Amino acid sequence: MGRGVSVLGFLAGRYLLGLGRRTHVAAVSAISFGAMALGAAALVLTLALLEGFQATIRAQLAEAGVHAELRPRAGRVLPGGDWIAQLRARHPELEVRASSGGAVWCLGGDGAVPAELEAVDTMSRVEVNRVLAARLGIGAGSELTIASPKLVLTPLGPMPMRRRVVVDAVSPMRPDDDRAVVLVPTRIGAALLDLGAPRTVALRAKDPAQAWRVASVVQAEIPKGVEVVSFAELNRPLLAALTLERVMIGFGVALVMAVAALNLLCNLALLAAEKRADVALLTAIGLPASRVRRLFILLGLGVGALGGVLGTLLGGAGAWILDRTHALPLPRGVFIVSHVPFRVTPGAVALVLGVSIAAALLASLAPARAASRRDVLEGLRYE
Amino acid sequence: MSDELVIARGVRKGYGAGERRVEVLRGLDLAVERGEMLAVVGPSGVGKSTLLHLIGLLDRPDAGELLVFGSDTSRLSVEERARWRNRRIGFVFQFHALLPEFTLEENVAMPLLIAGEPRRTALAAAAELIASVGLDHRRGHFPDELSGGEQQRGAVARALVASPELLLADEPTGNLDAANAEILFGAFEELHLSRGLTSVIVTHNEALASRCGRTLRLSGADVEVACSRT
Ligand SMILES: Nc1ncnc2c1ncn2[C@@H]1O[C@H](COP(=O)(O)OP(=O)(O)O)[C@@H](O)[C@H]1O
Ligand SMILES: [Mg+2]
Repeated sequence: MGRGVSVLGFLAGRYLLGLGRRTHVAAVSAISFGAMALGAAALVLTLALLEGFQATIRAQLAEAGVHAELRPRAGRVLPGGDWIAQLRARHPELEVRASSGGAVWCLGGDGAVPAELEAVDTMSRVEVNRVLAARLGIGAGSELTIASPKLVLTPLGPMPMRRRVVVDAVSPMRPDDDRAVVLVPTRIGAALLDLGAPRTVALRAKDPAQAWRVASVVQAEIPKGVEVVSFAELNRPLLAALTLERVMIGFGVALVMAVAALNLLCNLALLAAEKRADVALLTAIGLPASRVRRLFILLGLGVGALGGVLGTLLGGAGAWILDRTHALPLPRGVFIVSHVPFRVTPGAVALVLGVSIAAALLASLAPARAASRRDVLEGLRYE
Repeated sequence: MSDELVIARGVRKGYGAGERRVEVLRGLDLAVERGEMLAVVGPSGVGKSTLLHLIGLLDRPDAGELLVFGSDTSRLSVEERARWRNRRIGFVFQFHALLPEFTLEENVAMPLLIAGEPRRTALAAAAELIASVGLDHRRGHFPDELSGGEQQRGAVARALVASPELLLADEPTGNLDAANAEILFGAFEELHLSRGLTSVIVTHNEALASRCGRTLRLSGADVEVACSRT
């Protein structure tokens, strides 16, 4: 069996390389080889480009947002006890931000809107989220009045308790949140509302690269009634959109491979027709039909899979060079990076190699079958 | 020698179906004895190649009994047929003598390579046979660098490289001039004797046929008769 393959390798190698003989086969297979290489290179480059952009987006997400959130499994508040303090003590690498709060009205800028007040234990300044900033038309430096449902007696009768604050910043937190939120230090929150136990704990790794691991790190150390929402779950809609984008664009570019594979199929069929007499002769001197089939599959793989490997290497090298040399600049201010980022991942390389080998194999099956079933005598009888 | 390498009894073979059906061999009886050199002659289209393809295990009879090397060929599996064609039968075809992408030496070694022999021993055996047909100086040449006669001598070397018992040749001199036909036929005669072969040679050339031990004359009659010459 192993020895049987070696003569097939010898035959296929000679047909493909031609050894300086003017063989039509060598020229035709060079075209198919190039097509497969181009397809693979295009696929690698595209995947590297997508991964480059998406990695930047994910990094930005980790830079700005919360990495994990602890929420009560039931009810509105987290279970009591000093587990939050313990968490803080045990994980100096994490920022642990417990917040409690309730419904308030916010007045300022364009009018008054209902909002969610979050009193955060680690905060020392006042922030509003983007929704509230937009609804009131305010920003950093604006004045804001927070009115609570708690009543105080005034000479004019019972009035909602109010507090005037200056907004220090617009928080980037949770871009998908559609509630209006004002974040205040616990001191201010306690003055406005009867704060009970914390309602949520937000966790952030000081190193944003660790964002994906935060949920699993604390998972084992929190009480039963607390649910850990991971970074991936917090950003599910965006991450799902990114994955979908990758799949759809990858699929679209993979059609180039399909076209290249069809070209390979045509050329193998042509080769099988042209080599009809050779195949007949080889069969007549004892090469079984099953090995004729394998010979043509080997030829298809020799052209297609090697083309795919070369294309993958070229595409990968191209992506690496484009990324390193910052060859493609981006307009400043439009995007957070200054050049088009490319990132070649082992997964993408494996995928492209797998796709090219599979495409070459599929393209070889039909011509190989046809070649092995052709009538030997037909091939021998006529000149 | 009395044992027979090929026995045909009532062998029938035709092509096509319905109105376009052609009956080529209509009940052929034949026995080829070990060591004999049989010439097959007859007009074009009478079924000489058809007969050779049946004996050479490249095709199957429609009816009748065909024994090769004492075995009923209808009982041979596809794999056995391929193996016998590779090792026990040497075939020289009228056209397509050699594979164009391979050197003479590689062409001659091909049956051994197919059999799984290591490259080195296959090429050594090929070199020896190439020398015996007088093409020593042409070993590394490609077929398109050889004359028609040299190509056919190369084909003879390839047919014999795996040391078969039976040599089948289908109009090997058909495309050659008289001088080259003479050289090729000389090689056949010499190798037939020196290698103890049994040979069946289809030819148009009556003069060459007359040098064989016996001639089978196909005429298209219902039953073919092998007529002995010696
Ligand atoms: N595959 C085929 N289909 C139909 N007819 C065929 C086929 N092969 C051979 N024949 C016919 O069978 C007859 C005998 O052919 P062949 O054995 O090649 O004759 P020869 O070798 O004596 O010239 C011819 O009439 C030829 O046309
Ligand atoms: Mg013929």
